[in-house]
This record gives sequence, structure tokens and C-alpha cells, in this order.
Amino acid sequence: MTEHVPPPTQMSYGPRYFLDNYREQLKVGMAVMLQYRFAVLIWGVWGFVGPLVSLAVWTAVAGSGIVSNGATSFNRAEFSAYFLVFMVFGHVTMSWDAFEYGMRVRNGALSPHLLKPLEPIHRDAAQNISFKVVTSSMLIPVWILLWILLKPAPPVSLEQALLSIPSLALAAVMRYVWQYALACLAFWTTRVEAVNQLWFAVDSFLGGRVAPLALLPGWLGTLAYFSPFRSMGSFPVELALGRVPPDQVLPGFLLQLAWLAGGILVFRVIWAAGIRQYSAVGA
Amino acid sequence: MSQISVTDLKKVFKVHEREAGTKASVKSLFFRKFKEVEAVKGVTFSLAPGEVVGFLGPNGAGKTTTLKMLSGLLYPSGGDARVMGHVPWKRDREFLRRISLVMGNRNQLVWDIPAQDSFEVNRAVYQIPEKQFRATLDELVELLDLSTLLKKPVRGLSLGERMKCELAAALLHRPEVLFLDEPTLGVDITMQGRIRDFIADYNRRHGATVILTSHYMADVTALCQRVVVIHHGSLLYDGDLSTLSDKIAPFKLVEVDLADPASAPRVADYGEVVEEQGAKVRLRVPRAETSATVARLLSELDVSDLTVQDPPIEEVIEQVFRVGIGEKPEVSDVIAEVAS
Repeated sequence: MTEHVPPPTQMSYGPRYFLDNYREQLKVGMAVMLQYRFAVLIWGVWGFVGPLVSLAVWTAVAGSGIVSNGATSFNRAEFSAYFLVFMVFGHVTMSWDAFEYGMRVRNGALSPHLLKPLEPIHRDAAQNISFKVVTSSMLIPVWILLWILLKPAPPVSLEQALLSIPSLALAAVMRYVWQYALACLAFWTTRVEAVNQLWFAVDSFLGGRVAPLALLPGWLGTLAYFSPFRSMGSFPVELALGRVPPDQVLPGFLLQLAWLAGGILVFRVIWAAGIRQYSAVGA
Repeated sequence: MSQISVTDLKKVFKVHEREAGTKASVKSLFFRKFKEVEAVKGVTFSLAPGEVVGFLGPNGAGKTTTLKMLSGLLYPSGGDARVMGHVPWKRDREFLRRISLVMGNRNQLVWDIPAQDSFEVNRAVYQIPEKQFRATLDELVELLDLSTLLKKPVRGLSLGERMKCELAAALLHRPEVLFLDEPTLGVDITMQGRIRDFIADYNRRHGATVILTSHYMADVTALCQRVVVIHHGSLLYDGDLSTLSDKIAPFKLVEVDLADPASAPRVADYGEVVEEQGAKVRLRVPRAETSATVARLLSELDVSDLTVQDPPIEEVIEQVFRVGIGEKPEVSDVIAEVAS
């Protein structure tokens, strides 16, 4: 040995470390996305299709009148506004790790990422953000065109519209963490995609993707209100359109924070147990 | 103090099994049968800082499973291990920052972009100071001859080129412990030599501790003085490569040069004839009987020259590997096979 490695210095894993890593991972993620721009565009459009179908159905139901459950009502322009905002917010909060994780656990592709001091969730989150940056540039013109064609009702509260931005950020992080926790079930079941399909169905219904939650009947509306799905789906959309009663804004944010904290806790528990379960087969 | 210490390390996998065919497939929907496979059955060894050790054994011996436990990828079923004082499977960031595992069949480089971009990601992940990063990269580019490869997308590189880039990615943060699992797998003979030289150089320059598994004996003989042989999850041998044959192969090769070629057939009475070329005969003689046999040969035959050798190490190891491919033999069976 001609040279000796000096004793290692303790590294800091503070905000700068994560910022630096997210920046590098974003660059790589975007470079990869741009290699497959056509496939990425299709995935992006897929996120638009769900709300577009709901929009078509509900504007047809409303016709030139309104749809009401007694307590609240939506006309054609309000449905258009709701689902057009949902398109964008749904895109910003979408996550697909649960579709891929099973494969990564099965074939051992997760292993190289587990060997690094940065937990894989950060790399995957950065890739998620890169996808949204790349696809947004392609989808925004489509969205503007739809807005012009469908003539939706404008937001009624600027204050709530502004509050929808932090709410959207919370929703995106919350959905990502919950979806990642779900993805980690792949350490036990190799077909986590099936569990995710069930989650997606419930999420679409209770999160307001299929219909505005205000139109759900009594008990179902209450269930949706307290479920995590409203916090990560409909709530920021309702804020953007100014449809949240003023006394419900703060409780809405508190619910979001509670579900986010719950998601982080659930993820931590599942991750710690899942890693012990990992068999690193194939790699 | 040991850099790596392993005590009675075990790993048991629970594997779902069923018969072939539709009937068995339907049955398994309701009645799942699992069997336990003991991949590692309690191995114990340790490595000093800076040591390079060859970890040998046939396919399925438990080598890769052991390396995965030592690098924190797998949680063991029993036993204990410490790597630089860390319990690997706790996966402390400080531990992961100081090791690297290179797997010949698995890559960390991002497939669609140039290797240089993946290196930048590693710079951030391992918090390598910019100056050190550039210096290490320059050194790796020179030693591994990477200059023309860095800007090509990884998917466009040949297997050998990719392996060199993988090695560079794994060493950018200058790990103090390096686990190399088949680093020359599928690489041509020239590239194998370059990778071997590079690993030896890295060990010399940085005093890194290295555990290497390889099916290419040339890798092991070039890099390792010490080998650990594992077979069906159990430790078969731990010691000098040069004395491995004493333990595993209980015979010696005696080469006799006879003054009278006509007496060559009589040599068969002294041991198993391996080769006969005129007056020159090579014999395989049980190790314990070597001295007595040589004394008898010299006194009873007209011998002009005689040499005693250990069997070539490649032959010994290959015999161990070959036996491992068949049904589960016991250690004594392996030794018997090698001796035959």
C-alpha cells in the first residue's frame, strides 16, 4: 500500500445535500424523458383523458341546466372549470411507482439504488418531477386550447385560488408518499399492480376525479371529506375554483397535513420492514 | 483490527414450489407450499484492512448471497457481520458511502444517457468535493482508458466498455471496501487483464479492502494471495492460495526421468500414471505417501531425475467447481473427486 485512505470525515445530509441531489437527478431524469418523448407524451395525455371523459359526461348531463343534490349545484361552465383544473392538478400530483416497483423488486433492479447513501425514494421523486416538467411543456398548449373552446366559469375567489398553490404542493407530496408506501408492498407481493388498481379506483371516486365530491350523497360525501383522497385530489381543485366555504379552508389544510404526516409514517414503517424482506433476486 | 468480520453468517430463503402443469397451478392457488433453502449455512471469516481475498465456489455456493449481506442488500437469517465497524444491513449512510459492490450482471449506470452524466449523479450522492471528483475521474479515465467512452450513451457501449465505466462509477467515491462480484463476466481476455491490473492498482494506491468472486481463475491468481472457498453455503477452505491444494487436493505430482525407458511400465506400481512420454513419467501420489514413494522410486529404479510438485491451482479449483454442479456432495466427496 503506497498511499493510505485518510480517515473518513462525517458527511452532512442536510438540505444542501438533497438540493444538490435533486438537481442532478432532475437533469438526468429530463435527459432520459427526452430520449423517449413520444412515449412520455402518451403517458401525459393518459393523465388528461380521465378528467376529459368525466367532463364530457357531466356537461352532457347538465345540458343547459344545472345538476344539484340540494345543497350545491353545478352548471355546464362550472363542470368545465372543475374538470379542466382537475386535469392540470391531476397531472401535477400523478405518480406511477406502484406500477413499476413490483418489477424492480422481482428482477433486482432496485439493488444498485439500495447500495447508495441516498434513499431510492428521492431519485424516484426527482424522476417524477422531471416527467411533469417535460410533459407540461407539451400539454399546456392543449389545455389552453380546451379552456378557450369550453368557456369554463372563472374562479370566484382570488384568495382561494392563491391558496390552491400550497395546497396543490401538499397534495402532490402526499400522493407521492402514499403511492410509494403502496409500491413498497412489492417486497411482500410481487403483483402490487393489482393492489394499486384497487387504490386507483377508490381514489378516482373519493378523490373527485369521477364527479365533484359536493354532488355525492350525505354519508358518502362525509367519507370522502375525511379520506386522504380528497386531500390529495379534489381539495386543491375546490380551492382554485373558490368553492370551499371560508370556515372549511383551514380544516382542509390541517387534514392535508395530517394525511401527509400519516403517509410519511406509513411509508417509513413499510420501507423499514420491506428492506428486511428484500431478497435481491436476479442481482 | 479487522476491516470485515463475519461470524456464523446464515441466510435462508423461503421459496414457493409447485409441480408443473395446470392442475398443480390451480392447486397452488389454494394450497401454497414453501420450502426453505439454506443459501449460506454459517460462514465465519475476517479480512484485515487492505487485504484482497478471492471468494471462490461453484454456482449456487452462496458467494453472491454473502456479498449481498456484507454490502447491506440482504438481511441475514442468523449470525453477525461488521464492515468497518458497521452492521451492514442497518444500511447507515456512512457505511454505504464507504463501500461499493460491483456486480458483473447488474449495472448502476443510467442506460439512456452518457456515463459522464451518471458520474455527476454519483458526485452528488456521495458528496465528493468537486476537486477530488475531477482528480479521481481523470485518474480513472487514464487508467481505464475511458476518454472516448464518456460521452456515448451507455446502451451504445460494448460489454467490456460498459464494465469499465461501471468500475469507474463504483470507484469515484474511493470506497474503502470493495465487493467485486464477477467483475470480468463476459469480458474478452484483453479487457479481463486490464480490469485485473486496474483493481490491483486501486488496492495498492488506496489501501482498499477487496473481496472478489470470479469464475476466471486468472482473476484470482493475479489478485489474491488468500482465498475463501465456499461450497453449498459452507466454508470449505480459508487460507493462502498457494497452500489450497494441500488441503483440497490430497495428492502430489511426481515426475520421474528414467535412465532406462524400458523400465517405464514398472512406474505404475508406485502411483497413478497421469502422463507417459518415453522415459518421462508423471505420477499422482497420495500426499501422505510422497516421501516413502519417492524413496522407493530412487532405490528400486534407475532414476536420472525426479521432481515433486503440487497440482496446478487452476486444476484444483476447477475440480471443486465441477463437483459443485452435480448433486449436493459432502465436503469429503469433493476432496475425493479432486483426488481422483
